[in-house]
Amino acid sequence: MAEGTRCSGDPLVGAGALGEALRALLPHTKEGLRLDLNEKVERSVVMLLQEAAELFYGGRRTECLQRSEVILDYSWEKLNTGAWRDVDKDWRRVYTFGCLLKAVCLCEAPGDATTVAAALRVCDMGLLMGAAILGNILIRVAAVLQMHLLSGKRPAQGPTLEQPNPKVSGTGLGSHRREWTPACGYPGSFTYAVLSPSCSADEEAGSGAGSHLWRWKARNDQVLAPDVELERTVPRLHCPSLEYFRKHFLVPQRPVILEGITDHWPCMKKWSLEYIQEIAGCRTVPVEIGSRYTDEEWSQTLMTVNEFISKYIINEPKDVGYLAQHQLFDQIPELKQDISIPDYCCLGNGEEEEITINAWFGPQGTVSPLHQDPQQNFLAQVIGRKYIRLYSPQESEALYPHDSHLLHNTSQVDVENPNLEQFPKFAEAPFLSCILSPGEILFIPVKYWHYVRALDLSFSVSFWWS
Amino acid sequence: MAEERPGTWYGFGFCGFGQALGSGRGRQVHSPEPLWTPVAGVDICRVSASWSYTACLTRGGRLELSGSASGAVGGCRDAWASEALLVLLRSRPGPGAELQGWAPGSVLRGEPLWSQTVESEAAGEHGSGGEAGARALPLLPSASAYVSPRPPFCRPLAPGFRARRLELGAEHVLLLDAAGQVFSWGGGRHGQLGHGTLEAELEPRLLEALQGLPMAEVAAGGWHSVCVSATGLPEEGSEVRAAGGEDGAPTPFIAVQPFPALLDLPQGSEAAHASCGSRHTAVVTRTGELYTWGWGKYGQLGHKDTTSLDHPCRVEFFRDKQLPVEAVTCGPWNTYVYTVERRKS
Repeated sequence: MAEGTRCSGDPLVGAGALGEALRALLPHTKEGLRLDLNEKVERSVVMLLQEAAELFYGGRRTECLQRSEVILDYSWEKLNTGAWRDVDKDWRRVYTFGCLLKAVCLCEAPGDATTVAAALRVCDMGLLMGAAILGNILIRVAAVLQMHLLSGKRPAQGPTLEQPNPKVSGTGLGSHRREWTPACGYPGSFTYAVLSPSCSADEEAGSGAGSHLWRWKARNDQVLAPDVELERTVPRLHCPSLEYFRKHFLVPQRPVILEGITDHWPCMKKWSLEYIQEIAGCRTVPVEIGSRYTDEEWSQTLMTVNEFISKYIINEPKDVGYLAQHQLFDQIPELKQDISIPDYCCLGNGEEEEITINAWFGPQGTVSPLHQDPQQNFLAQVIGRKYIRLYSPQESEALYPHDSHLLHNTSQVDVENPNLEQFPKFAEAPFLSCILSPGEILFIPVKYWHYVRALDLSFSVSFWWS
Repeated sequence: MAEERPGTWYGFGFCGFGQALGSGRGRQVHSPEPLWTPVAGVDICRVSASWSYTACLTRGGRLELSGSASGAVGGCRDAWASEALLVLLRSRPGPGAELQGWAPGSVLRGEPLWSQTVESEAAGEHGSGGEAGARALPLLPSASAYVSPRPPFCRPLAPGFRARRLELGAEHVLLLDAAGQVFSWGGGRHGQLGHGTLEAELEPRLLEALQGLPMAEVAAGGWHSVCVSATGLPEEGSEVRAAGGEDGAPTPFIAVQPFPALLDLPQGSEAAHASCGSRHTAVVTRTGELYTWGWGKYGQLGHKDTTSLDHPCRVEFFRDKQLPVEAVTCGPWNTYVYTVERRKS
């Protein structure tokens, strides 16, 4: 078996079996591939989808591949038209359809690891940007591809073929943190440059100690970690009852750190760089490049988890890279088994399926500028520590939120190096702070302003609920 | 738009639905081919191309469709093709004209989705240079309103505008007025509005960066805008520029440019006309050359390959064949070019 030769040019043993395994996941006839699409999807596109399906079941791989490219390119344009939240879900389903056919066609004939990796990337694009079709079939296709890529390296463990979560992947992308949209460009390329709002041309976002921390190689944490003893700290509780939490923190909307909740979460023992590379290494994820998302040079791009770890975590990174606000656990269901949804979420109004779970994985020094989110948040710390500062929504005026629509949920102030001439009221605004360590969960009430800086290599999991 | 000299239309780019593009072989054409028409010798004066079909209008008022929509009809004065809607301006007995919106799939069979009588072009007013197509759809002949592929289909312009030309992008609108001023509105997150921000504009807003420099033409692509100044220098406004990013190449470079930037054509050529596709641009120079750049995956740049380019490159085909280019119209993923015969002295 090919050992550690994921991306070499050698043909994979058993690659013919891959084509069979993939075809087994698909419906038996072209009728099974029919999508019910609303009238927003033009007749010409519906014709093209039917044609592509016919070609596939007719064994005409190359032509099917060509049609898939057209489907992907056209639906990509629709995904880039208007605000992400306004993109009709059916266009995302069309995009997923294109990804499905392309991925399977790529692997029809025996190919090398590069081809399988490319097909996996296509699946991940469909999971990131598309919307579930055929019972979220891309999850199963991705699992088969991933297993095939890693065959020989992993312990005997079948692909996750149990009933996949029927929740649509890719929803919630583009909410809260910033209005995130895929950039207009080539499918497979992914860059969105955000300019500083023109109204704050003077602000030197990104200056100050906070943003350059990643350059510091100092091992001495005392230099880098704020002395929270001097600041008012977030209270801590050990496994409070639901009622106690509700009465004293949820209802009055006060932050609190919950200890002991994650004691039995497998992630606390299992997660390490090696484990993450093993489970998710070849999967494509969105990565933010730049000190903070309010910077002019900030951008988003796509890369595999292995590339991210190699370029932005080990190997003396030149830039700050952050795998931030990504629904990794929808993309890789196996990882979801390592975490649990905190019981306290049941105190909310929403359904469990509506809870958005995000992964936040990055090196020491990543910064999330002071901002607010429209839902309650449980932030669970798994690896490393984070310095977090919290301001009540009542202090919003003293936090000088941006005017622009794109950044209206974000403060203009650099928390650890504020320009008090420009933002005088900030100095007097009261706040709570803490250093969140592994095993702890921070409750951030809805719209509570929060600023986060990673003090170590860090992996956090956030649960947004209502 | 085309003069009386005999000319030929060429096309290149995407034709996956069998729309009129060259020989009709294959699903993409990478090098210019003469436009295929069902009846030889027809004199096409205007081409309007949507993604999956193309509409060709002859001087005699005959409209021919090819691609995912087909058929032909007479009595047309103008046509504008989009995926959701084919808009026709048709002659009617008496004054004015009939504006009709058709579903492309059922064009010319049965009834239009809607129709209304509109004023003709006001007497005594002509487009610049006497071009018949100057007040082309989607701008109505009266220039007081324009057509949109999404409801409301007919959108009035504020009374103050003396609109000369109007172009629709995927999420923005460009308007050129009689004084050569440019207005833009709609979505702006790719910088396509040219006002220096990524904010949307609900109402037409004057492009201040171009003030004092009268424009002769505007062209709207999917997410970018191009203006040609009256003196012939193309201003590349608010472009999403992409460097040649083929699969496997280093990360493609994509820039968002929210202010108009002056674009230099090689050898100091002067631009005369411009047209934009979804993600590519074509410019005709005063000396009859064609330059294209942008996304090239379907051969829409006409350079015999599928490479994308981030700077204007001449389409050598027309130079090699000594065919002066007079006009260009881009569909979303293809390009149509009108050439005239070289004057024989």
